[in-house]
Amino acid sequence: MSDLLPRRGRRAGVALAAVAAMALTLTACSADDGGDKKNAADSQITIFNGSTGTIVENWNPFSPTFLQPTNGLIYEPLYYYNFAAPAEPAPMLATAHSWSPDGKQLTITTREGVTWSDGTAFSAKDVAFTFDLIRKTPSINASGLKITSSEATDDKTAVITFPETSYANEAAIVANTPIIAEHIWGKVDDPAKTINQNPVGTGPYKLKTFSAQSYVMEKNASYWQPDKPQIQNVRYIALATADAASAALIAGQVDWMSAFLPGLEQLLAGQKNLTYVNTPALTTSIFTCANKDLGCSGPQTDVAVRQAIYHALNRDQLNKLAGGGFAGTASPTMLPPERDAKWIGDQANATIPGAADVAKANQLLDTAGWAKGADGIRAKGGERLSLTIQTVTGWSDYISLNDAMTQQLKEVGIELKPSQLSWNEWNNNQVQGKYQLSLDSIGLGASTNPYATYSLKYVTKATAKVGEAAGTSGNYSRYSNPVVDKAVEAAAGTNDEAAQKAQYTIIQQEIVRDLPYIPIYVNSMLTEFSTANATGWPTNENKYALPASWKQWDNGVILSNLTPAK
Amino acid sequence: MFLLRKAGFYLVALWAALTVNFFIPRLMPGDPVEIMISKLGQKGPVSPETRASIEALLGVGTSKSWWAQYTEYLSSLAHGDLGMSVTYFPASVSSIIGQTLPWTIGLIGLATIVSFLAGVGLGTLAGWKRGSWLDSLIPVTTMFQSVPYFWLALILLFLLGSVWPFFPLNGGYDVYNVTPGWNGPFLGSVLYYGTLPALTIILSSVGGWMLGMRNMMVSTLSEDYMVTAEAKGLRPGRIMRRYAARNAVLPSVSGFAISLGFVVAGSIVTEAVFSYPGIGSALLQAVGGADYALMQGIFLIITLSVLGANLLVDLLYGFIDPRIREEKA
Repeated sequence: MSDLLPRRGRRAGVALAAVAAMALTLTACSADDGGDKKNAADSQITIFNGSTGTIVENWNPFSPTFLQPTNGLIYEPLYYYNFAAPAEPAPMLATAHSWSPDGKQLTITTREGVTWSDGTAFSAKDVAFTFDLIRKTPSINASGLKITSSEATDDKTAVITFPETSYANEAAIVANTPIIAEHIWGKVDDPAKTINQNPVGTGPYKLKTFSAQSYVMEKNASYWQPDKPQIQNVRYIALATADAASAALIAGQVDWMSAFLPGLEQLLAGQKNLTYVNTPALTTSIFTCANKDLGCSGPQTDVAVRQAIYHALNRDQLNKLAGGGFAGTASPTMLPPERDAKWIGDQANATIPGAADVAKANQLLDTAGWAKGADGIRAKGGERLSLTIQTVTGWSDYISLNDAMTQQLKEVGIELKPSQLSWNEWNNNQVQGKYQLSLDSIGLGASTNPYATYSLKYVTKATAKVGEAAGTSGNYSRYSNPVVDKAVEAAAGTNDEAAQKAQYTIIQQEIVRDLPYIPIYVNSMLTEFSTANATGWPTNENKYALPASWKQWDNGVILSNLTPAK
Repeated sequence: MFLLRKAGFYLVALWAALTVNFFIPRLMPGDPVEIMISKLGQKGPVSPETRASIEALLGVGTSKSWWAQYTEYLSSLAHGDLGMSVTYFPASVSSIIGQTLPWTIGLIGLATIVSFLAGVGLGTLAGWKRGSWLDSLIPVTTMFQSVPYFWLALILLFLLGSVWPFFPLNGGYDVYNVTPGWNGPFLGSVLYYGTLPALTIILSSVGGWMLGMRNMMVSTLSEDYMVTAEAKGLRPGRIMRRYAARNAVLPSVSGFAISLGFVVAGSIVTEAVFSYPGIGSALLQAVGGADYALMQGIFLIITLSVLGANLLVDLLYGFIDPRIREEKA
């Protein structure tokens, strides 16, 4: 018996040694693979833009699942809108535009000296073709543009006519429509279904290599902006989770990503190449199913309850407990106050105080007839002031928010019952109106004009009875107010900013009182960069673009501004 | 007759599995169009009219009855058409499965085989040499098995990926420096990237095989024919392998075949922890995106391979174990 083991053991030993040796050699090769290549011709950065698992090739900007660099890196819009800071639209493929007095005709002057990445010259005909294709093909008309005709009157002028006054669609037209090449797309049979292999665009980058795990974009040498871009190659990779992403960032395998990383300051301390920028843009809010007439039920249909919640929240504490201290101050007008100060009519509504006003909240509830019961929770006519609030499993900052708010609202006699659902169910409840309170966020519409928010979230047109689907990212609160409806319509009929502001002021008065969405704070949007391979990233002082790595259009602007690290 | 009865049983099982496969995804809350719109919303603004354009694009209409959808599903399955994925639009389900399955089979399959061989080998020795140092491996390996897998995987990833960077942190191969294909650097990279995930799977499953094998060995060793074999003066190696191990391994073999069947189900956790591009992560995506077609496609592959593995065991068992063959005759 005893002579067996040594023989077995020897064999196993040899096998183990072989495996170990293999692992070592492999480690050795990979160690020198990551060597430094810092001359400009070889400059490369790696971006994680949130794609997970297998990447499917799709460079069709009209497809809902196109790869994000399609818009911004390959294709460009007429104008670029910066959502991160107050800024005028930056001309890209257009140099000027003007509306006819009735708002039914838009004349666009296109940029000269631009070429497509295959060498063909770009002209106004491509612009006219793009909008004509959208007019002819409902399945690619994602903005629902109503277009009568789209023609090029000469090589640098395109004229688009609309059946109705279309000022309100300006952002969708000039900033959110990728301009495509007529000589390529004219031959495509079904523009909605093609995956557009070998895309030809005017943007700063073009496709170099593609695989299901990663793809590389390379510099477009004939880009129209002189001396841009300077980074030769841009690689996009897929990672499964935020944990994997933060590990890759620390290990220097990722140069640019956007994720809320708990303990960010600590994580980046001692990493001299890593930095971050915070661009709060979305207002985290309690969505309320506010309208009894459309079928909402529960105490939150009482406006006094909504106002009391608004005043009872201690937002400084919430920011500390749930927002990591990175959140910005919100405005009851639902506009990010720093960027949109010029659109806020009454400066008293510009920001919400950080501390709670418990006395005010109590007084509101007392006046409305909600009396404190034996258990400390108020009640009225046998109905306890108890509300359910839903959020998504795994959204840890929202879950912490709910826990903290439960404590804060208890002070004024409101009981909050948090629940966590799957994303699908949570979303479905909002769309159908089957909820009392729900945590979600508002912001980042088609443009920085408040119309983008007000025309979606507050008008009767964008809502439906409880049990029926409200419009996409529409009025989930079931709020319906004729004054608001009329003001939104009036704002759409003009492109005079002063006249628009007058209408928005009316809307703001109504919604600040009615609070169908109760603002909490402007949530942080954290983006992490590495300066090891490239510099020139947006900073807190210079937000020349929204730096989120998943944002279309802004990606191209940022990459054009980078320079290889010395 | 035996074969016919088996085949009939498997046909019924297959039909039941396919039907369940059809209904379960549809009982989940959520609407694929809505989910696609919200994903789109993360890249940029979407307008209310987007819904109409996406519905037009996907050809999604809720007008069809479940019965009509069901018959359509069965008939397209018969033609081998698995439909189009919504989350990976416009890729077809078959192409997604084709892309992800090799990774999973390679990683999980190899790891399962290595784990089985190592477990059975160690178990044989431990049973043969009861009381030796090998016995002390059993508590160690079963401890690894009882630690939650994701925890073990995360700890190993942290230690061997971050603290002492012996292994890469994520992915299926070195996307920075090698090109996929049948070339040396790529295959080497795949092996290197697969080592750590495989190691975690082996560590967490070898204990079960080892324990089972050792205990079977112990009970086999007390059989009369073992004494006979020893009395005949056979070499101990021959006794261990041909007499003891061969009999003791039978229960493990059937367990092994079943676990091979589950290999294609992948390991969602493994693939999530290591960002591995296998079928488990595709399934996770499909569930997140209410992608019925892709879920059905993946479930179908899983069902078929588990049923296939069972059938194989049923048929092969007789050949592995002559006693069963005798009884049937």
